[in-house]
Amino acid sequence: MLSTFLSHQWKDFWRSRNKAGSIAAQILLGFFMLYFLILAIGLGFGMSFIIEKAFPGKNVIETFNGFILYYFLFDLAIRTQMQELPTLSIIPYLHLKINKKTIVNFLNIKSLFSFFNLLPLFIFIPFSIIKIGTTYGALTGLMYIVAILSLTVFNNYLVLYLKRKSINNIAYFGFIIGFVAVFALLDYYQIVSVRAASNAVFVAVANYPYLGLVFTAAAIAIFYINSTYLRSNLYTEELSTKDDKKVSTDYAFLNRFGKVGELAALELKLILRHKRSRGSILMGFAFLAYGFLFYKEPMIAKNQFGMMLFAAIFMTGISVITYGQFMFGWQSTHFDGLLVNKIDFKNFIKAKFLLFTISCTIITLLASFYGFMSYKLLLLHLAAYLYNIGFATVIVLYFATMNYKRLDITKSASFNWQGVGATQWILGFPLLLIPFVIYLPFGFMNKPYWGLIALSIFGLITLLMRNYWINLLVKRFEKQRYKIAEGFRE
Amino acid sequence: MMLEFKQLKKSYGGRTVVDISNLQIFAGETIGLVGNNGAGKTTMFRMLLDLIRPDSGEILSKGVNVANTSDWKNYTASYLDEGFLIDYLTPEEYFIFIGSLNNLSIADVNEYLKQYEEFFNGEILSRGKYIRDFSKGNQNKVGIAAALMQKPELLVLDEPFANLDPTTQIRLKSHIKALKYSHKLTTLISSHDLNHVTDVCDRIILLEKGIVIKDFRTDENSLKELEAYFSE
Repeated sequence: MLSTFLSHQWKDFWRSRNKAGSIAAQILLGFFMLYFLILAIGLGFGMSFIIEKAFPGKNVIETFNGFILYYFLFDLAIRTQMQELPTLSIIPYLHLKINKKTIVNFLNIKSLFSFFNLLPLFIFIPFSIIKIGTTYGALTGLMYIVAILSLTVFNNYLVLYLKRKSINNIAYFGFIIGFVAVFALLDYYQIVSVRAASNAVFVAVANYPYLGLVFTAAAIAIFYINSTYLRSNLYTEELSTKDDKKVSTDYAFLNRFGKVGELAALELKLILRHKRSRGSILMGFAFLAYGFLFYKEPMIAKNQFGMMLFAAIFMTGISVITYGQFMFGWQSTHFDGLLVNKIDFKNFIKAKFLLFTISCTIITLLASFYGFMSYKLLLLHLAAYLYNIGFATVIVLYFATMNYKRLDITKSASFNWQGVGATQWILGFPLLLIPFVIYLPFGFMNKPYWGLIALSIFGLITLLMRNYWINLLVKRFEKQRYKIAEGFRE
Repeated sequence: MMLEFKQLKKSYGGRTVVDISNLQIFAGETIGLVGNNGAGKTTMFRMLLDLIRPDSGEILSKGVNVANTSDWKNYTASYLDEGFLIDYLTPEEYFIFIGSLNNLSIADVNEYLKQYEEFFNGEILSRGKYIRDFSKGNQNKVGIAAALMQKPELLVLDEPFANLDPTTQIRLKSHIKALKYSHKLTTLISSHDLNHVTDVCDRIILLEKGIVIKDFRTDENSLKELEAYFSE
């Protein structure tokens, strides 16, 4: 029976309607995964070498030990965001003559086929064999592997269990991520050391190898808790949606914009009431940390804004990029309704501009904490912001008129390639290249501030031309709407 | 004259879906569009609502081509399928939104909805659900009520009786009949249910493979005539 289930899943994957159109996206995703796997394998086999290089003078095994629980803590945080509940796939089987136990087993096994379960094996097992096994003996090496496997399984079922218990409850995800973040911070400021704790645990395993079985016991325990919970709650209604009372809302601050504001409010509701759009927004906030990766002291000191321009455009314009790239696909399910009703297309386009402007403004204000690093970054952000609301919005909306792919917005956003087409790939080029092209001549002439001013002026001029753009986009939309509507109906 | 279809043609992949050379619909008529699956009823409606561009020909609504201006939106209301509903809104939010497009205040909308309490049978309003969480029948009710709220002169409904419970079917029929006399409402209905069509419509148009096969006024023999045709 289990093999039948799995073969159905296999067919589901290959015959699914969205997949056929986006094989390219699948392949790309495959490459990403392969890339991570190769990294993981490299990390696994090169662990001793890397640790020696990265932390010279430190004990290799101690560092490795300290890394293990740390990894699994982060693993937990990422899984709560990314790991999917394999629930909906069982609906067609529930009314058939199949034992509940079989279905639960199927769900449990299916959940093991996850990228997150593969990664730690490649990272930790090579070192456990090469270094731990040779230093402490085969038994200890084996117990390390058992512990790693158990921790992986533990995390897998723990996340599934918690997710099932609190479906659609965002506050709770925030809680888990906050929990991990607090630990990371405490560790960073050396108040409580996760690494020391992890090291202590694994030193104990090295001394008393059979202690490794404690992890296995924990994994088995959570597996049983999860299975029991599933078996007694095997109702798709309870497993997939939470039935809380929905209330009508009104966004008073948008009312002052009249009809445009109403359309914007409509779209704001769309964003807040769907999984995929909510995910995009959260991702946008996560990208606020992008600057820490890209903004480096020497660059700031030497005014090399060109190097930091990408990050600035990306951060301040994240809503334009992540939300705009699928435009108007977000509304694909009711696009016919929008066309048939008495909606002025001009207002329709204006509403998009309004939303982009508001969201860019908010995120740029939030990003102003980089001002603590250097006031120069604020100037950089201002230029990027003006470009984003002035011209990036226009690019995105222009490309939107060529996007005919229906978007399923009820699924989560991470690793979701449904609705991705050529538009999304091409879109990024003009959007990210134009600011470089404007800035670069000034960069070469060693007039970085003039470059920022030029970009700002470009942004301002395009912003002042907004009415012109709106008319242009409306004309384009009028022409393309049949094609868009047809694509969205599929 | 309300509507005029002229040399209207639409085909997909070489297969003709709609081919209507001349068809006129007059104000106050209730038209029933019947035909088997693939007869072109929905495609015809979509072209009437300017959702699909015809390959050739045109549809004039009050003498104006629907593809050229959107004046027709001022007096036309329609509900074809769930794609017309904004399904992440509560029904109240949806009614208020549609109302606002037609310059109705929230108070107007609430006032209007009162007369539909019976039609809704207590299942639609203040249930604390988004439209997407309703059953198909109840979604239909929301769509039809929202269309009627716009006080249209022309009403276009695709399969309005499907998924509705018997009580609501009967109420909808009498409502359409009443509006015909009180507001001179022109209605286009497509349906697979010959009983309903002959009951509510005063003119029936039978489509097959996009071509008008029959076009007649309903009388006591219509139902038999249609049944005879479809059982061939």
